[in-house]
Amino acid sequence: MDLSLFGLTDIVVSLKATHLANFFAMLIAFSSGIVIFISKNYRLTKSFYALFLLLSSSLFLIVYAQDYLLFFIGWEVMSISTYFLLSFTLSKEALHKYIIFAMASALSLFLAILILYSGTHSFLYENARESFLALSDVNGIIFVALMLFGIFVKLGTIGFHYWLVDAYEESHNFFTPYLSAVLSKMGVFALIILVTQVVTLTYTLAIIGLFTSIIATFKAINEDSAKRLLAYSSIAQLGYIVTVLGVADGMSGALYHSLIHTAVKLLLFINIAGIIYVTGRSKFSELGGLIYRMPQSFTLMLIGIIVLAGMPPLGGFASKFMIYTSLLDAKNLLILSAVMFSSASAFLYIYKLIYGVYLGHPTNKKLESVKEVPLSFLLPQYILALLLILIGTFPAFVVPYFNAILDELGLKQMAFSDISTLISNFGEYNGLVVISTFITLFAVVLLFLVSNRSRVKEAKNRFDIAYCGEEPTESTHLHYGYSMGKELRRVSLLNHIYKNSVKPFYDFIASQTLGFSDIFKKIYTGNLANNFQMALVFAIILLWWSIK
Amino acid sequence: MILLDSLLMFIIAYGTGFLYYGLYRNITARFQRRYGPPVWQSFFDSIKFFTKEDSTSHGWMFYLGPIIMMSGAIMTLIFIPFFSSGESFVGFSKYGNLFVVLYLLVLGPLGNALGVGAAGNPFGAMGITRGLSRLFAMELPFYIAVIAIMSLSGSSDIATISSTQTTLNAIAYPLLFIAAMFSFIGMMGQAPFDVVGAPVEVYSGPATEFSGKFLALLMSQSAIFTFAKLVLMVHLFLGGADGFVELLSKTFLLFLFVIAFGSMYGRFKTPQSIDFLLKVPTVIAVVGLILATWSS
Repeated sequence: MDLSLFGLTDIVVSLKATHLANFFAMLIAFSSGIVIFISKNYRLTKSFYALFLLLSSSLFLIVYAQDYLLFFIGWEVMSISTYFLLSFTLSKEALHKYIIFAMASALSLFLAILILYSGTHSFLYENARESFLALSDVNGIIFVALMLFGIFVKLGTIGFHYWLVDAYEESHNFFTPYLSAVLSKMGVFALIILVTQVVTLTYTLAIIGLFTSIIATFKAINEDSAKRLLAYSSIAQLGYIVTVLGVADGMSGALYHSLIHTAVKLLLFINIAGIIYVTGRSKFSELGGLIYRMPQSFTLMLIGIIVLAGMPPLGGFASKFMIYTSLLDAKNLLILSAVMFSSASAFLYIYKLIYGVYLGHPTNKKLESVKEVPLSFLLPQYILALLLILIGTFPAFVVPYFNAILDELGLKQMAFSDISTLISNFGEYNGLVVISTFITLFAVVLLFLVSNRSRVKEAKNRFDIAYCGEEPTESTHLHYGYSMGKELRRVSLLNHIYKNSVKPFYDFIASQTLGFSDIFKKIYTGNLANNFQMALVFAIILLWWSIK
Repeated sequence: MILLDSLLMFIIAYGTGFLYYGLYRNITARFQRRYGPPVWQSFFDSIKFFTKEDSTSHGWMFYLGPIIMMSGAIMTLIFIPFFSSGESFVGFSKYGNLFVVLYLLVLGPLGNALGVGAAGNPFGAMGITRGLSRLFAMELPFYIAVIAIMSLSGSSDIATISSTQTTLNAIAYPLLFIAAMFSFIGMMGQAPFDVVGAPVEVYSGPATEFSGKFLALLMSQSAIFTFAKLVLMVHLFLGGADGFVELLSKTFLLFLFVIAFGSMYGRFKTPQSIDFLLKVPTVIAVVGLILATWSS
């Protein structure tokens, strides 16, 4: 697109429907369609919808842009419209955190883009690598650092996640699924553009990603609120993507995991939104025992957590398999061990999520009379669950689309022999066989038990449990597991994660900024006469400068 | 054919698993200077439990727990071939790989965790919490060792890893083997990492609420699962096996070592075992991995 019409003779911008852009646009459109289902349960104002549409369109601008100028415009509109959407529900402090981080991210991206522009005087992605090579070493490092800062803030990488957890927790329940599923993916998109079009970053990304996924996983284990737990889980899952983008041939795993993560986080956040809708609570210590009141929601969350855990029968394993084999292929064995470690630690928070809400005992009388969530909550979850089961059974069914993207980026294609088999250099994975074996075995064991059944006494009430020969009462503390993970604080090695936080650092930055602004206030007092004097002094300086 | 193969594998694992369990009870009894029960006692117990009534029902999810656990155990078994080569006793192993098996190892316990949670017994939840907290620490050294082995063999296929060992992996890479053994003792539920069930301490851990057929199911899966884990370990580090004699002698030797180790030590608390596993075996495994891959 030529901008000479607007008097911008040297600047060329371009939009193009590449396969990569189409993939992310599909994620945006799909997620928007899914979250709209639950909108009718909330009384949202017209301005909320208008902002939501503005946000979605800015996301399309980000992904379809072929140059950093349009990309930046989209990014800025995204940040601002998200601010207004969050402002409906967020507390003042959380909102301040968000806007400061979002602005810092946008400014650093802007600076990075300008530095890149100084290379060959072009914003286009196709010239980006050339521009980067034309930069001096120092400028190159500054460019990468600023760019990564901007992206990491959006991804919520550890250290830059300070705004994210609060924003996720306090955002509108209608908006949280979208935040996690789509907005965080824009960071992934920007990172993919950076590593494919501009500069390859190997171990920097891998190590940052690893720290992110391990620390966020352990932080998630210790959370009491379902939304905060899922927020940390989002950070951790995106950490895998950052890690795998660092190493060779990790693109396929990153794309696959983006798809799975979008679907599964939509499912889980909508599930939690449903729970909050019917009970008004989101803390594990105030929930519990909802399984037989809301069997459908329970089953849907079960599917969600199996995928989040990356268990073999469902879709989560396919993406984990891609990530693991690409790391193994690149001989990054210690990185792979750490990724698998973080993935195994995730079982703890995943179990805590389903236990705290659905299993155990109700912690409150009111919870014993709640009903299943409305159909508008269940329907989107059913669609997502079906999609995830489908991907799990036929893991190669999405591969041709990914291969088109990989082909376009000039990367190695993903191999598959048929729709249900993924092939890697380290063996293959057949989703159909795994899932049908499991279902068959399950059915056989079930049939055996059913054919052999005998009379069973139903529990009199929920206190009818084996309890060391005593009988628990209403006041006995039975919802034991909601605080699981607390004992990890007693492990000295892991306590470092819980003891330390980025808060003191950002508090320090804040206090320094306030101190600086005090100096500034001495000059700029707000007094009109003072301002006039200042303006006069500046005018004289300018005048003197121009004459000289 | 493949179904018959799997069925035979199941029957053999079922019998051997209970035989090993009987021997385990006898051998630990001798360590404690007493006579244990008859070798097949646990087997007869499990058969008897299958004919008994269940005491109390806690709803459908409560029942699904042991069923998922049993399915998970059988699935782990049939995704690991018995022998390093040959067409018989391979089950579904050619459709899976080591990554799938590593995940299948935790599939059953996690499924059971849901059933235990649905029962609402705090002692059950206590066992699960301990188990999951210990799990990740236990997996880390094992993962590092297994990843090193996979990378050195150039495959994630268990039969290939097993048959490409010219010298046994346990001898060629002793540090990896030692690190993996620490985890393996934990996986077998032996001291010092037996805090999950914590016999004679907690009111019986994850199995608390189950009775009758479901207790029998849990006992049976434990027997099968034990055998499957032994076979996996033999394939990874002890060169696999080419016949039943070799397979049974290698698995039994490994089993004997594990229970002897278990009888000698006391029990770690959960934080202690996490701390230990994240420090000693992990460091051994990392050093082992660096040494093993440095030369190649």
